[in-house]
Formats: sequence, C-alpha cells, structure tokens
Amino acid sequence: MQDRIYSFVMVPMVYAALGVFLAGVIVRGMKVLLAPRQHTTLQIFPAPRHPRLRALADTFLLPTVRTDRPALWFCLMLFHGALVLLVIGHIELMLGIRALQIFPHQGFLGGGLVGLVLTIALCFFLVSRFRTPYREISVPEDYFLLLLLLVTVLTGSHMSWASYISPAGFDIAVQSHREYLSSLLVLRPSVPAGIAGSPHYVLVALHIFFANCFLMFLPFSKIVHTFFALPLNLIRRGGLYGARSTPGTADAL
Amino acid sequence: MEPEVRRELLTRFDSRLNVAMRMYLDTCARCGVCIRSCHVYASMPELKYSAVHRAEVIRKLFKRYFKVQGRVWTSLGDSADLTDDMVETIYQAAYSCTGCRRCMVHCPFGIDTQMIMSIAKLLLIAGGREPKVLSMLADMSIQKGKATAETRANYARAIEQLRDEVLSRWREAHGEKVVPLDVQDANILYVALAGKHSIVPAAAIMNAAGEKWSLSYYEAVNFGAFLGNPEKTRLIAQRIIDEATRLRVREVSICECGTAYRVMRHMMGALPFRVTSFTEVIARYLREGRITLARNRIKGRITYHDPCQLARNGGVIEEPRYIFSQMTDDFVEMQPNRTENWCCGGGGGLVAIGEKDFRMRSGRVKADQIKAVSPDIVSTACENCHSQLTDIVGHYTINTNVRFLSDMVAESLQDPLAPVRL
Repeated sequence: MQDRIYSFVMVPMVYAALGVFLAGVIVRGMKVLLAPRQHTTLQIFPAPRHPRLRALADTFLLPTVRTDRPALWFCLMLFHGALVLLVIGHIELMLGIRALQIFPHQGFLGGGLVGLVLTIALCFFLVSRFRTPYREISVPEDYFLLLLLLVTVLTGSHMSWASYISPAGFDIAVQSHREYLSSLLVLRPSVPAGIAGSPHYVLVALHIFFANCFLMFLPFSKIVHTFFALPLNLIRRGGLYGARSTPGTADAL
Repeated sequence: MEPEVRRELLTRFDSRLNVAMRMYLDTCARCGVCIRSCHVYASMPELKYSAVHRAEVIRKLFKRYFKVQGRVWTSLGDSADLTDDMVETIYQAAYSCTGCRRCMVHCPFGIDTQMIMSIAKLLLIAGGREPKVLSMLADMSIQKGKATAETRANYARAIEQLRDEVLSRWREAHGEKVVPLDVQDANILYVALAGKHSIVPAAAIMNAAGEKWSLSYYEAVNFGAFLGNPEKTRLIAQRIIDEATRLRVREVSICECGTAYRVMRHMMGALPFRVTSFTEVIARYLREGRITLARNRIKGRITYHDPCQLARNGGVIEEPRYIFSQMTDDFVEMQPNRTENWCCGGGGGLVAIGEKDFRMRSGRVKADQIKAVSPDIVSTACENCHSQLTDIVGHYTINTNVRFLSDMVAESLQDPLAPVRL
C-alpha cells in the first residue's frame, strides 16, 4: 500500500500537477488577454525617459520595497535569486548542463545553500505575517502558501544537507535523481532502485508531493504575480497604455 | 440582499473587469508596502484606511464570484459574500479613498487602488448607496449642459459684468471683449469653474499675453468622475469636446481643477485639439516672453501643494515651479513633493460631499507638512485642494493664506514696455 502511494506521488501525480499547472496558467492568462482592453492611460508621472527599462527595474529590483521595508527587500531579493538557482538546479539535475560546471559542484549549482537561503527567507516572510499590521492584512492563503513552500524546500534541501552532516553522505546518488527526472521528461517514467530502495524514499516522495501541490495551486493563487508583475509595472510607467495611446472612454474613474 | 440585486451588482462588477483590472485584482501579495503611503492612514493609523484593505474589500468579492479558488475553497482567500453589510464596507472603502494614487507609486506591482475603487463606486451606484449629493451635482451639471441654448444670453450678460474686475488686473483686452465667448478658430478654449475666481485671473493673464481665446459655456468640474459613473463622466466632458470642435479651437485649457484636467487630458482618448492645464499655459507664456511677472510683488514665503490629479496623475509637475521661479525669491518646497506629495485629503468628491470631520482628521499629515515650512502663502492649482487646504489651515490654526496659482500670477502681471500698472 505504502509503495503504491509513493508510486502515485512520484509519477501520475507529477503529470497531473503539471497538467493542472499548465491548464490553470493558460486559462488564467487567456482570461486576462481576452478581457476588454484598457483604453486610457494609468501611468504615474513624471513619465520616465525609458519606460520599459524603468518597468524592468521596478519588477526585478523592487526599489520602493527597498525604501519602505529594507529587511523585507533583502529577503525578497535573496528569495527570488535563490528561486532562479533552484529552477536552474532542477533543470541541471534533469539534463546535466556542462556549462554550469564552470563552478565545480555536485548535484545542482548552489547545492544546500540555495535551500538554506530559501528557508531563512521563507521563515522571515512567515514571521512577518504574524506581526502587526501585516497579520491583519494577511489571509489564510498567505500562510498556506508560505508553509507549503517551506515544507517543499525543507524536504528537498535535506538531500543536500544530509551530505554535509554525515561522511557517508545522503544515500541517493545524483545519478538516480537524474534518471528519475529524465524518465519523467521523456514520458517513460520510472522510479530507479537507487531512490525506491533508499530509506530516504519517504522524504523524496514527500518533497515531490508538496511540489506537486504547489504546482497545482500556483495558477489559482497570488503567485501569478510571476506573470503579471512586469505588465503591471509597464502600465505604471507608461510602457503599456501610455498617455494618449488610444481613443477611449473615461473608464478609469 | 435580494438575489436579483446581487446579480445586477455582479453584472456591473463584471463590466469593469478589463485587462488591467483583472491583473490588479489577481496580483496583490499583501506585502503591506502601500500601508504607510496613504495620507489617511498616515494621519489616522487604522488599517481600514490603508490601500491594501480597501482593495481587499473588492478583491474578496472578486475571488468569491469570479475565481475558482473563491468558489471551491472560500475561506482560503477570505472571500466574501455580497451582502448589505458588505455594501457598507464598500462605501467606507470607496469614500475614504481620495483617488490620489500615492499607493500606486509605492506598490511593487503598481496596483492602482483608485481603479479598483471604481468598481466599489459603481457597485454603490447600482445599489443606490452612492452619496446622493454627488449624483445630484452630476445630474445638475448634465442638465445645465443640455439647457445651454436657453441660458447663453444670461451667461453672456453675467460674464460682461466681470469686465471691470478683469481690467483691474490687466488694463486691456486682446479683442473687443474682455472675456470673449464663442470665438471661432480661437487658439484656446478656456474651461472655467462656476465662480469668477476661476475666470477673472485667467482672463487677465490671457489678455496680457495677447491670446486669441474664448471662454467655454460649460464648467470644467466633472462630478461624474467623483461619482465614479463612466457614462456621466463622458457626458459632462463630451459637451466641452463638442464646443471645442464646433469652434475649431487648437487647444482646450482646463482651469485649476485637477480632476477635470485629468479626465479631459488622459481619459477621453485622442481628441482633435490639444488639452492643457491652465498652469501649463501660464508657464508657456512666461517661457515665450508673452507675459512677465513683477518679481517679489507678492511678499512672504510661498510654498506649493501639488494637486494629485494634476501632478502625479496628470504630469504637470515642473511648470508651477518654473512660474514661481519667475515670481518670487522666497519659494520653499514642502517635503515630500511632486510625485511623492501627500494628498490634501479633499479629492475623490470628499469636498463636495462635505465629510468635514473626516477630511480634517485625514488632513493632519498635510497640516504637518505645511507647518514644517511655515509659509505665508500656500499656493495650489486645484479647486478641491484649495477648499481642503483652506479648511485645514483653519482647523489646525496655521497662520498662512491659501491662494490659487493663477490668482498670484494675475496679481504679479507686469508689462515689460510700460511697467506702470493701472
């Protein structure tokens, strides 16, 4: 029974999660794209000389957060930077990217440090949510997402952290992870014996389970800011719907 | 709430869900960066006065009725049902927001709370819970516009009575009329407010510049915009557009009214004429040497309040500063200013509604800003701001005068060739 649950989490649920994720993102995106156009400008003045560059800076450097909440800004930058490494790391784990060996490493770039940074940042976000006035503006979704991410990161990071703690290291080889992930990619899924036979299998399955849940929930959550942050900043800076761009009506008041 | 009423309100809600609105409602991370950017919260630190709280009121309805999450797992996003109690909350959110958009400057995503509050205002209208005084003023404005043909002669006679007052500011008129009406092919159609304070200084300035101009029969103020009714907003603005088109003017200049300027300049799409605020026109005359100002004729320290709809939301930011640089050696900036300037607390229709107690309490941060620079004169270029600032300096017993920028310019007018002023 236990093996069947693990197998379900490791294979069919992964595809189901990906399906829900893709369908959700597409539906959500289409709802926005097919909505009536904004006819009038919503920009803030003065208009920057290079609205698109300014919008990019707003999106990726978060200047107003740095001014208003420097500690949050620091953690956000660390968190998003680590997230990028995390995505690259998983792709590397799947495909093996030689170019990344410019910084010699095993597993994926950043290893356990990425997980550590993410854990610290997530803990900061979580603790912040319990402080006034942020507690009062938070909704259950905010805590749910942070906890879901935290357990996903913790169960994933333990694979790297274990290597530092014990000289024997973590008993699942990088090669086994690569085999598993590649098999998913080429639609010939299998859980290699190196994973299935390991006493750590339960933690790997939990990591995959939480990651699946996160993927499935993402399109229905506020994390769609991943996709909308740049267009919204373009609107603010006049890179989209700039002043006097199109004829229209007074629909912003 | 009756199911039919709810359905009707949700239909109105749906009608506002365009590209930008959907993203605004989908994106907030509730980081709280916007909390302290609201002047109401800065003056009265209660969360119900924060931008995020106001937007969440509408966002909770959006989740409940327009998103899978709200239908499947209501409590997760704290989704809310549209009930009579909720309508009261919507009212509080909509009419504690002046639409100054300072929160949008600070939000990492640039979420426009004023835009989200447009849904709130539309729901209140559909539910018959909008401030009746705003509805009445918008309707009166539209009716007055329809009856212009009958009232034109009376209006012309009333305007003629301003002749001496205009000539006391500047001794000659450009054409035969001191305040010309119905001038075909005029360079400027000037759209004033109801009240000579909005006409006399502008007439003197344009006459001094030798401008070929015409006064509009219509008043600039757009109560439809304060009310949040797009149809009425358009109707009120359209009659000015029609008049300008009929007269074939090159430029429509909006008097010192921030909302009227923003509606005409940024909300009405492409128009067959240029739209400017009168502050821009004054700055242009000064740059072109068409008028000159007697430096320091107006004594005392002067500061300037940036009207939100004119500066942050309209783009008229450096022009008033240029004008003061020509007018006085004793100009001082309030901090913060320009895009970051604190709203005075009178926008969004609050001055028209009354709400003096709330306006005075929410204006504390502006009062502190004024006190910090101890000015003799607080100047501004918006009727709403002028009214609110006048109330604020009275309420907080600040020893200063509140004056319109155009009035100060008219008082400082100087003929470069004949410096003796009549």
